[in-house]
Amino acid sequence: MDVSFALTGKGYVLVAADTTAAHSIIKVKSDVDKIKELSPHLLMAYSGEPGDTVQFAEYIERNIRLYQIRNTYGLRPQSAASWIRRSLAESLRSRHPYSVNLLLGGYDVSTYTPHLYWVDYLGTLAEVPFAAHGYGSYFALSLLDRYHDPEASLEEGIATLRRCIDEVAKRLVVSPGKYLVKVVDKDGTRVIEI
Amino acid sequence: MSIMQHNGGSVIAMVGKDCVAIASDLRLGVQSLSISSNFEKIFPVTERLYVGFPGLATDVTTLREVFRYRVNMYTIKEERAIEPTIFTQLVSSTLYERRFGPYFIEPVIAGLQKTPSGSYEPFIAATDLIGCINFAKDFVVAGTASEKLFGVAEGLWEPGLEPEDLFETISQTLMNAVDRDAFSGWGAIVHVITKDKVITRKLKGRMD
Amino acid sequence: MPDGSFSHPQQRQFNPYTENGGTILAIAGKDFSVIAGDTRQSEGYSIQTRYAPKVFRLTDRAVLAVNGFAADGNMFVKKVQQRLEWYRHAHAKDMPLGAIARLIQTMLYGRRFFPYYVYNILGGIEEDGTGAVYSFDPVGSYEREACRAAGAAQSLVQPFLDNQIYFKNQQAPAGQSHPLHLPLSDVLAIVIDSFTSATERHIEVGDGLEIYVVLTKGRPTQDLEGYRGVKELTTRPDGDRVFLIQRELKKD
Repeated sequence: MDVSFALTGKGYVLVAADTTAAHSIIKVKSDVDKIKELSPHLLMAYSGEPGDTVQFAEYIERNIRLYQIRNTYGLRPQSAASWIRRSLAESLRSRHPYSVNLLLGGYDVSTYTPHLYWVDYLGTLAEVPFAAHGYGSYFALSLLDRYHDPEASLEEGIATLRRCIDEVAKRLVVSPGKYLVKVVDKDGTRVIEI
Repeated sequence: MSIMQHNGGSVIAMVGKDCVAIASDLRLGVQSLSISSNFEKIFPVTERLYVGFPGLATDVTTLREVFRYRVNMYTIKEERAIEPTIFTQLVSSTLYERRFGPYFIEPVIAGLQKTPSGSYEPFIAATDLIGCINFAKDFVVAGTASEKLFGVAEGLWEPGLEPEDLFETISQTLMNAVDRDAFSGWGAIVHVITKDKVITRKLKGRMD
Repeated sequence: MPDGSFSHPQQRQFNPYTENGGTILAIAGKDFSVIAGDTRQSEGYSIQTRYAPKVFRLTDRAVLAVNGFAADGNMFVKKVQQRLEWYRHAHAKDMPLGAIARLIQTMLYGRRFFPYYVYNILGGIEEDGTGAVYSFDPVGSYEREACRAAGAAQSLVQPFLDNQIYFKNQQAPAGQSHPLHLPLSDVLAIVIDSFTSATERHIEVGDGLEIYVVLTKGRPTQDLEGYRGVKELTTRPDGDRVFLIQRELKKD
């Protein structure tokens, strides 16, 4: 029942994910952080099979860090996305595939451009202006088709994100109560209160 | 619904007079939900050879990477660019390696083949998901709109089309076919390969 | 079980339907209508016959094409013809095209829960003299259109028609617009191309082609003169006229 969306704007990517952890019909936590800060300029929102999600996210997090330690420079968003995709694609045809869906938001410090990647558990990778996973996608994508602007300021971007969150709260039966929103831009990653 | 229909998408290639064209739609979806309107499925192999991968999107990316690697290795070892016929055999054998757990892709290949006299002749081919090759003289199609592509192409195509006429023919064929397919569309891209240049154009299409 | 005991549950099933292949197609013009179908009848990979008509003249102004399950199709046409004959006896005239369309809807919907497994396309001339095509689904949902393909090669032919009849994805020259109706000669060429294309790529289409042409009252017939073996099927003078063009298609 995870809900996550992300959108790009002028020089930033906004990533939002709900904060609930559920076991069947029971909410066991309401302050879970499902958006990992993989590097100073890379965010990853993850959702899917409980257990797989954290295991896979931490595996990615440690390996992205390892690459940076070994090579001094970290992977750029495009390269990180490509490597993460391949990890999922290889896992798909293994004995126990991960069922994890991702949204990767990054800021490329060498070209000064924001990048957003939609990745699913099959290893499907697509660079998109906005994206969503879970039941939220059925509401958010149509809203974003109408309101998304790649040149929008951060304030405008947050307002658009608010619309998505409000619409899900209004129309989705099992809507989550709280969201965590993070942004990545030239200054790095940070949490945004909405 | 079958895995081959999971992400949607279609590719077509056609032969013209001293040229070939290859085109695809730009949709990426998950079942009926559209995710991206800019997902390219056609990739350059050499200056005069392109390959299209309609099918499961994860395998589109995987196979693109596999063939980029294998073609690079061939180029380094042989110290020459790979020819379309050789590349087709490479595609076939690579897919057949996974005979009992295949990549869910039906590749379409289009390029200009060098003849012993030094000139170029048009070449197109397609394979199924386990690498059975179809060498065609006119056109090849694959993807979720393949039936529609067959119908329109059979009606519009004629031998000996010049590059600009071939562009119009392949574009009309693709657009009208994908407009009747729920899993393909959302814009298109067309490459026309001639001996001295490749003309690439993006087409706007219906967004419904 | 062989001993006739009821110790093991058994299931039997009878499937009352089959699919007999083939394709039909109709296009309406300003003052004519063209209704065509191939003549191959198949079941699975076997050809049952190379000549089984799927297109039928109902009146001097109405032609019906039926495709899908041949037995249902033939029975359905028979029942429509019977209802039209009753209408003639009651009203001393032929039923108008729009009325035939509505009749077909009620007849199909009457079998909502054991449908005739057929797709119908009705073509002909309306009372105002314009060409018309009505297309139906198996349970009677219908609409009037300018062109429609149905049957095994529908997915091959319909997008071609979208392009050639509706000019979809084509831009008209500056200051001009696309014609609403094509001349008969163009329509016939498109119909023949559609069927030769479908024959080339679909195994269930081929053998023969029957093209019915319905012309509005008083319309000149010179467009038809270029075709070999055109037969006139009109029954009454001074009304709308029906012609039949028979052609060969590839048999492989």
